[in-house]
Amino acid sequence: MRRGVQVADRPSDESLVRMYHVSKSYLAGSWALRDVSLEIGKGELVFLTGPSGAGKTTLLRLLFAAERPSEGQIIVCGRNIARLREGAIPALRRRVSVVFQDFKLLHRRTIEENVAIALEVVGTSPRAARGRVFQVLKQVGLQHRRYHHPLSLSGGEQQRVAIARALVSEPEVLLADEPTGSLDPDLTIEIMDLIASAAARGTTVIVATHDVGLVQRYRKRTLHLEAGRVRTDAPDTGASV
Amino acid sequence: MSRLASQLRSFVRTALRGLRASPLTTAVSVATIAITLVLIGSFVVVVENMQGMLERFGEDLHVSLYLEDGLSDAELEGLAERVETVEGVDAVELVSKEQALQRFEAGVGARTGLLEALEENPLPASLEVTLLAARRTPEGLAVVIESIDGLPGIAEVAYGQQWVETYARAVALVRGAAFGLGAVLALAAFLIVANTIRLAVYARSDELEIVSLVGGSRTFVNAPFLLEGMIQGGAGAALALVILYALFRLLLPGFEAGLELLVGYAEPAFLSPGGMLRIVLGGAALGAVGSAAALAGSWRP
Repeated sequence: MRRGVQVADRPSDESLVRMYHVSKSYLAGSWALRDVSLEIGKGELVFLTGPSGAGKTTLLRLLFAAERPSEGQIIVCGRNIARLREGAIPALRRRVSVVFQDFKLLHRRTIEENVAIALEVVGTSPRAARGRVFQVLKQVGLQHRRYHHPLSLSGGEQQRVAIARALVSEPEVLLADEPTGSLDPDLTIEIMDLIASAAARGTTVIVATHDVGLVQRYRKRTLHLEAGRVRTDAPDTGASV
Repeated sequence: MSRLASQLRSFVRTALRGLRASPLTTAVSVATIAITLVLIGSFVVVVENMQGMLERFGEDLHVSLYLEDGLSDAELEGLAERVETVEGVDAVELVSKEQALQRFEAGVGARTGLLEALEENPLPASLEVTLLAARRTPEGLAVVIESIDGLPGIAEVAYGQQWVETYARAVALVRGAAFGLGAVLALAAFLIVANTIRLAVYARSDELEIVSLVGGSRTFVNAPFLLEGMIQGGAGAALALVILYALFRLLLPGFEAGLELLVGYAEPAFLSPGGMLRIVLGGAALGAVGSAAALAGSWRP
């Protein structure tokens, strides 16, 4: 494990996420994130770990432009988040999907409609959307529940729907904020396998978690945050799961 | 299907889903717009009818120039020719003293015995002046009269200007009242639509958050709400027209009798197709503007 973080002088063309000396402050004198620099390549699976309040969620929110950095530069899919116009944020979010601990599903809509919403926003025809949604629901093993509503599904199934929604638009980057935080251990592995399979298909995946067991099981690159700073950047050990 | 058509379909589907999700709020909003537009529409019906009557009076508007006695035929002809050259005059008819008497006799009918007592014809010769259509307004009439009055040989100028001016003022007053009241009522309807849509925005904040997270643009988020407002406004206007027509049919007999009594003429008409279309479009626009106001600043990516 190496201490501190080194950023290459010449960034790799394969890096989809780059942060240069990024800091984020919500209150004057108090830093949620402090001088963070990192690069994450295409198809890489990276864990963000650290105690509550370490800055994991803030870092993810900066990457999908829910927040702007107070200092530094962030390049995601070639876009500079610090300078991104408000009107350009939707285009970024079509390339950067997010999965949350609380699933964020629409309870009045069916599973199919929940997943299709990510295609609706780009004007995909209903017929093409149905085909694509079926395909991705099959990947997560829920094609037979597509006409059900979220509340009739278990927590693990709801998270699988959220992952299907995140993957249906074939994003370049997938961010997951404690995606297994409310699931039991068996479901945790099931959900994490689905997320890892996205990385195997070439999507850059960043998972924020405080589940040490999960990190040890997958043995992928792990950035450990404490008090808003990256304390360690442990490389991928290449272990297969 | 093109991308645009898919998005439009999606907007309509989302808007209808939104309206169905809160039927009571939607019904209250539609009813409020309907009541507002019934009141505005009532004024429009009254103003359109008064305007129609004013135009009709204009068509019948004549100016009678009573001439001094003792003018020769040549002087009468010359005066008629002179008046005919005045700007705004369409035609001039010379009515001699004899013709005036004959007309009077024809008018009073069987009571011609009244005239037998007269030793000489007391009626003056006159010039009956018809104005060009463009001058058949109180202002146009005044300009023509100014040019004619004072010509030698003319003893008196008679026309219904005072009545016409009073009536025109009444039309302007009603129109002004309609405009003022309409503006107040439209503002009330606008605030109610804006409030309804604002409530809908709050109620669906989870949906808006998710749409925003998956890359929904401002247009994608706002368009269904604008459509909802337009549908509410259009439906309210259509309902208003139905109520207005029912009221018109119900009150028509009394309205006709009143007009007959006042002006000896009664052909009250409902709104023209163009007027009805304007009310429906006005309702839809009211809804859209109300929604737009409610949405201002609500989209945060």
